[in-house]
Amino acid sequence: MTPARIALLLAVLLPPALLAQPGTGPDWTKLEAETMQHYQAVLRIDTRNPPGNETVLVEYLKQVLDKEGIPAQLVGSDPKRSNLVARLKGNGSKRPLLIMGHSDTVTTDDAKWKFPPLSATRDGGYIYGRGTVDDKDNLTAALMTMLLLKRLNVPLARDVIFVSEAGEEGSSGIGIGYLVRDQFPLIDAEYCIAEGGGIVRIGGAVKYATVQTLEKIPRGIELVSRGISGHGSVPLKSNAIVHLAAAVARVGEWRPEVRFNETTGSYFRKLATVSPPEVAKIYRDVLSSDPKVQRAADDWLLENEPRHSSMLRTSVSPNIFNGGYRSNVIPSEAKATLDVRALPDEDPAKFLEQVKRVVNDPAVDVRFTGQNERPATAPPRLDSDVYKALEAAGTHVYNTITLPTMSTGATDMAQLRAKGVQCYGIGSATDFEDPPKGFGAHSDQERILESELHRFVRYNWEVVTAVAGAR
Amino acid sequence: MTLKGLVAGGWGLAVALAIFAASRLLVAQTPPDWKALEGEMMRHYQAVLRLDTTNPPGNERIAVEYLKQVLDAAGVPNQIFALDANRPNLVARLKGSGRKRPLLVMGHTDTVTVDAAKWKHSPFSATREDGYVYARGAVDDKDNLAAALMTMVLLKRNTVPLDRDVIFLAESGEEGNSNFGIQHMVAQHYADIEAEYCFAEGGGVTRIGGEPKFATVQATEKIPRGIELVAKGISGHGSVPLKSNAIVHLASAVARVGEWRPDVRLNETTGTYFRRLASIAPPETAARYRDVLSADPKVRAAADDWLFEHEPQHSSMLRTSVSPNIFSGGYRSNVIPSEAKATLDVRMLPDEDPAKFLAEVNRIINDPAVEARFGAQNTRPPGTVARVDSEPFKAIEAANRRIYNVPTLPTMSTFATDMAQLRAKGMQCYGIGPAVDLEDGPKGFGMHSDQERLLESELYRFMRFNYEVVLALAAAGR
Repeated sequence: MTPARIALLLAVLLPPALLAQPGTGPDWTKLEAETMQHYQAVLRIDTRNPPGNETVLVEYLKQVLDKEGIPAQLVGSDPKRSNLVARLKGNGSKRPLLIMGHSDTVTTDDAKWKFPPLSATRDGGYIYGRGTVDDKDNLTAALMTMLLLKRLNVPLARDVIFVSEAGEEGSSGIGIGYLVRDQFPLIDAEYCIAEGGGIVRIGGAVKYATVQTLEKIPRGIELVSRGISGHGSVPLKSNAIVHLAAAVARVGEWRPEVRFNETTGSYFRKLATVSPPEVAKIYRDVLSSDPKVQRAADDWLLENEPRHSSMLRTSVSPNIFNGGYRSNVIPSEAKATLDVRALPDEDPAKFLEQVKRVVNDPAVDVRFTGQNERPATAPPRLDSDVYKALEAAGTHVYNTITLPTMSTGATDMAQLRAKGVQCYGIGSATDFEDPPKGFGAHSDQERILESELHRFVRYNWEVVTAVAGAR
Repeated sequence: MTLKGLVAGGWGLAVALAIFAASRLLVAQTPPDWKALEGEMMRHYQAVLRLDTTNPPGNERIAVEYLKQVLDAAGVPNQIFALDANRPNLVARLKGSGRKRPLLVMGHTDTVTVDAAKWKHSPFSATREDGYVYARGAVDDKDNLAAALMTMVLLKRNTVPLDRDVIFLAESGEEGNSNFGIQHMVAQHYADIEAEYCFAEGGGVTRIGGEPKFATVQATEKIPRGIELVAKGISGHGSVPLKSNAIVHLASAVARVGEWRPDVRLNETTGTYFRRLASIAPPETAARYRDVLSADPKVRAAADDWLFEHEPQHSSMLRTSVSPNIFSGGYRSNVIPSEAKATLDVRMLPDEDPAKFLAEVNRIINDPAVEARFGAQNTRPPGTVARVDSEPFKAIEAANRRIYNVPTLPTMSTFATDMAQLRAKGMQCYGIGPAVDLEDGPKGFGMHSDQERLLESELYRFMRFNYEVVLALAAAGR
């Protein structure tokens, strides 16, 4: 049958509600107000972690889902930090699809924000707030998809499970850790989609989509320097602040060696094919076997495309430094924390040795923190229904190509992948230029374009209906 | 003595009368039985050490209440002056004949704060161990406070006739809030503390290898100025390192400033100090003190290196010193903060030009992402250098010879004291203190350290020193 005949046949056979499917689809313009209402509502609920307090947010979600008649429940190990699980039943011919968005955010340094971080202020076509791109965009899009599936009575070949998990930002034990350990039957699925990828805009135009299939493994390293305490009027050679500062300066300026894996290698090769000539050259140069050529490209990336620089190596970012309590007292101890994102194949013990060599100061102790860690996992398949649906939606909604990628940030998919769930990281479109300008995830001006929020809701819907809709 | 001489007549009678007259004076001023006073001294010392007057918040009221009760019981008139009821100052006065202008003896009641987890003995326990007393304030400044208190009590108890009033001031807020303490007293109640001479913390006796070697009298002091370094960068997710990372920029700046040693520059006091010190030091060390005075930059630099490593207090006397003491930036391990801040404790030579020095710091940092600026931190006015040919300096020299058998060197203290405000009013002030081991500072037992301590025997010796110097200056008929 030709596609035209199939369409005709479907139009005849299917009930009218189904006509509101991709193509004729929901009235997206009309839905914008509803999307914005939920998005601003969840942004305005304070779920900064610690302490998280995610229960307040999932109660909001539950009330929205209840009103729509979608069964949802709150589960958790801490009453203040509940997770939400909602399920729309399919006909059971395929195993479930899980769509996720975490409810917590990182904390804020309020004084640095132009707009209060929980205000969800709309300004110049953007919405500003903590969580705007991590992860209340995914959360809202998944919520909207659930509401529309129900409202439009979409017949499903598989259950669609919506999970809004707590504690993604550093306390996943009460979130995805709890769900996988104690409630796995509630969320068990063939596939999952969650944060981790996204659509890349450069110069305001969409250039390509990424789907996260692999992620780096976060490891915290602590540097502790010890010296002799004393009166600040008498400088001491052993000053713990000075020793630690020198160590942090050395580690901060150090760039561990570049190493590619299959995902990142193909990512840069494909990226080169869709990039303007000067940038494409950088992506090819960074793959070069000539160390000088590679180094120059590496320098350029650190300066101009730091996210790409982080994909090349196990990265180190000194993010906390604390020492001293009074201006005229030399403290006997100072402490710094390095945020280390290890390549999936990195040997932790060997890496720690390398850091010690760079620090090269017996007064400074270097050790792993007990920080939350994620399991290393194998990448999911790229020939699956979900990957194909993502590619199709990328073309249809954004008119762009899709690249598999390794994310530098960790996600809750790590735990699911370890259980054999095929997970893919998606996300809304953001400007490539935003993070270095201070508008990215975790920054003091986290933001999203309103138009891209709405486009992402549509993308999410198209992927889910393609994967779960009964044909 | 016998009366034999009294009948000898003539020259003998004159001598005898002279001896008799002298003996009356001695009766009135029978030297205290120092051994018997040790228990009382230790009781007061431990009592004030056990009162938590860490500043901030200070709460010096509790120390002042204790002192007042002791002075009241001894019958020493005293009054309280306070800008803040919790942070009062106490002034006690023993009247003299008025033949000479008053002598002011001081001790401050507050201490710096503590990092309690670092202390072996609880910082307010005043634990006695192996001949030492461990506590915050043990040598800064509850030693001077307790010694001055004992001097007042003993002068009264022994009804010593005085040629000048002896004023005891226990002031609050010395550690960073002198607006409550000395500044308030100078600005609002100067008549109650005005004196010709004053004694306070700032000098002391230096022991090396357990032996007193020399005494110092602080005649001038460095001027404290805080410098703040602020680095600004782009904030973001810690999984993506940024070249602009504020922590890394600030760490590089602090490392550079911390490794930098500003130029050596000596003044009259410090020049004299090192020359005299060389004359009494063992040959190898004496060579260092002479080398540091050398015109040859290479010789000087080698001596400077040695001092920085082995005698950091001396190293600080050579220059405007810089000590990075606070570094704070970041609030979560996976967030690159947009700002980080460090505080440098800068102690300027009295003749330093602050603006020029700040420009030098900026040149050393050499990073447009890091701004260096003077902090709002407390500073002190420059004052006159105390004379070394004066009555009090001679009295101190004599007491050091008699009690410690050591020579006395005038010195410049690297830290600020409340004498700065008094010297700015023209008072001749001298910094004194008990004997401490030169080795203690770098080993982490010095003032402001996490194991601040004082030898019990040196506490008692200092009680005697304090009393005898005051007596020499203020007792009638001297």
